[in-house]
Amino acid sequence: MIATLSHHPGRSALALGVFYLLLATPIARDWLEASMSRHMLVQMPLLVVIGIIAARLVPGRTQDSLLIRFGGAWPCVIAALFASSYWMLPRALDAALTDPWAEVAKFLSLPFLVGFPLVLAWRRLTLIGRGFVWTNFFSMLAVLGWLYIVAPVRVCNSYLVNDQENAGWYMVIASVLLFFWWLGTLLVGGGVGPDKPDQSGPGRTFA
Amino acid sequence: MATYTYTPVPDQGAKAGVLAYLVISCVVLLLMMLFGLLMRMEQAQMISIGALWFYKIMTLHGAGMVGIVALAGAAIMWHFLRQYVDLSTGIFMANLILFLTGVVMILASVLLGDFHAAWTFLFPLPGNSMGMWTPGAAALFMGGLLVIGVGFVLLHLDIARAIISRYGGLGRGLGWPQLFGPDDGNAPPPAVVASTMVTIVNLIGLVVGASILVMMLVNLYVPTFEIDALLAKGMIYFFGHVFINAVIYMAVIAVYEILPRYTQRPWKSNKVFLASWTASTIMVMFIFPHHLLMDYAFPKWFLIMGHIIGYLNTFPILIVTGYGAMMIVYRSGIRWDMCSRLLFVSLFGWAVGAMPAFIDGTITVNYVMHNTLWVPGHFHTYLLLGMVAMVFGFMYYLGKPNENAPDSALDVAAFWGFVIGTMGFTMSFLYSGKISAPRRYAEHLPEWVPYDKIASYFAMLLIASVLVFIFRFLTRLGLASRDYQRASLARSMAT
Ligand code: HEM
Repeated sequence: MIATLSHHPGRSALALGVFYLLLATPIARDWLEASMSRHMLVQMPLLVVIGIIAARLVPGRTQDSLLIRFGGAWPCVIAALFASSYWMLPRALDAALTDPWAEVAKFLSLPFLVGFPLVLAWRRLTLIGRGFVWTNFFSMLAVLGWLYIVAPVRVCNSYLVNDQENAGWYMVIASVLLFFWWLGTLLVGGGVGPDKPDQSGPGRTFA
Repeated sequence: MATYTYTPVPDQGAKAGVLAYLVISCVVLLLMMLFGLLMRMEQAQMISIGALWFYKIMTLHGAGMVGIVALAGAAIMWHFLRQYVDLSTGIFMANLILFLTGVVMILASVLLGDFHAAWTFLFPLPGNSMGMWTPGAAALFMGGLLVIGVGFVLLHLDIARAIISRYGGLGRGLGWPQLFGPDDGNAPPPAVVASTMVTIVNLIGLVVGASILVMMLVNLYVPTFEIDALLAKGMIYFFGHVFINAVIYMAVIAVYEILPRYTQRPWKSNKVFLASWTASTIMVMFIFPHHLLMDYAFPKWFLIMGHIIGYLNTFPILIVTGYGAMMIVYRSGIRWDMCSRLLFVSLFGWAVGAMPAFIDGTITVNYVMHNTLWVPGHFHTYLLLGMVAMVFGFMYYLGKPNENAPDSALDVAAFWGFVIGTMGFTMSFLYSGKISAPRRYAEHLPEWVPYDKIASYFAMLLIASVLVFIFRFLTRLGLASRDYQRASLARSMAT
């Protein structure tokens, strides 16, 4: 889908923008934020995906110059790491529900500080760098899931304990499934990640 | 149908990095063996170091041995794999540096912090020391394991990268097109197949290991984040068992690569070979429950799976490799020198060492035998006479002065000392297991002591022989890095 979209960058950008706005409508927000699982595991990843697609719509040369301006691949990865970690904190979730500014920050930071820089960096990361980001992500997602499952207290004021437990289980399951998907891409060859880099990057595979 | 003929390949010297791995392996192996001897002598009441030191040494010996054989196995794998794919020296060295960092952390945790909860860091022991060590010491130990794990993740990612860019995917690295389609004879060489298998299982094992280590670190400082003890045990044994199993699959590459050079017969990656490696890739991940057969709280199907897969996985690679080696050697006129002897005996050691595990993997036997010295009997046999023999065989290969260089009488004596010492040492473990001496006891009942004494003498013989191996390798380090013909050609081939 991404490949066909990018044949018409203008139209794709428009579609993406509309989708972004749709996510921001009160109805979508109410529904997605009503449960912790949907909030953390649907809405937030979708926002990151929007950033990823947006970055892919930017012409390669602009991506390169942006990357240089940001200081290279690793600063981008680290920015993404910190921004995404912040939104894993229960109190950040609470804040997003109660404080409109936090909600705005979430809608801006997840696409532009996580998805966007990851794509910029991804093209420049060697295969080892990518593998490292992935393996770290899998194990930490599982650990985070466990933390949510066993937390002795309700971590979010806005969600119930069982919701928190469900979210934890979904994270563990997601981490296992993603891990197997990633291994699968290694086994069958090329690697078919969400962002298969172009030929200019040093790495051509590893999802 | 594919045809296989042997094409001679030149013997390459080792890179400086490989030599660094091997020298460090020599030093640590020797030290850990001496620690092992101390433990056995303590049980034999020949010395008296006390329970605290026994368990500190046991923790160091377990973690140190597992780590160092992994390092030595990685050196063998890297040396040969590099001849087929383009590996990164930087990553190889980064692994070594991370390894040494981890070792320092573990040493500090045990020697300074008195941590002694065994290398398996079984939950909840590290966090429940009853004042014997601080949470800081436990964290340092687990942190050290984590750092070592990170190094191996990097190494395996690099290997995966290199195999993928050369062959187009790990499936192709395992030879799937030739396994499931017509065998066109273009399957990757055994070294690549084995490295692919090790990379897949170790990446999975290490990700699981890192997860449980981080969970336990959290739990150490915030105990209210409780860990399901059964889950923790499952994860730890999955990681530990995969990792220690992978070690021999790395080292066996030395057999695949070196024996054909002696006999001038190719080691074929034929369908049976490929099938056994693919089967073991999957099975190696499901056999760890044979350590858990006594944990009745596990679901029944889980234990039955461990029983069945434990039976099945004992065989494919072992038989294919043992049979393959015999086919290669049979009537080849092979000339036996230290290298070919050690490599050949390693397959014997591997096969013999697997048998006690096979027996112990039977649920009814397990109820009686597990947690006795039978288990150390099993793994010391296949690790010492299998894995460690492969490492020393590889060292003799690298250091052999020329293809016709004779072995000195001392080396040959050391070879037999090693074989006899190891057999005697491990048989005493197995016999102690048979008479129900438990493992991991610092103090033994008087009835068990005679076997402990016999074991100690055999261990001394074994260590003395290893000293000769190590001394020989260190004096030949200069030769080890040069490219020249080392393997003695079989008599039928030699001119
Ligand atoms: C001269 C050689 C060696 C000697 C004398 C020796 C001795 C011992 C002894 C006495 C124990 C404790 C047994 C018990 O009471 O539970 C032990 C445990 C162990 N050894 Fe060795 N060993 C030697 C070589 C090796 C090698 C080469 C490896 C691995 C490659 C190894 C790995 C282990 C492991 C993993 C344990 C289990 C530790 C635990 O229970 O936590 N050993 N060894």
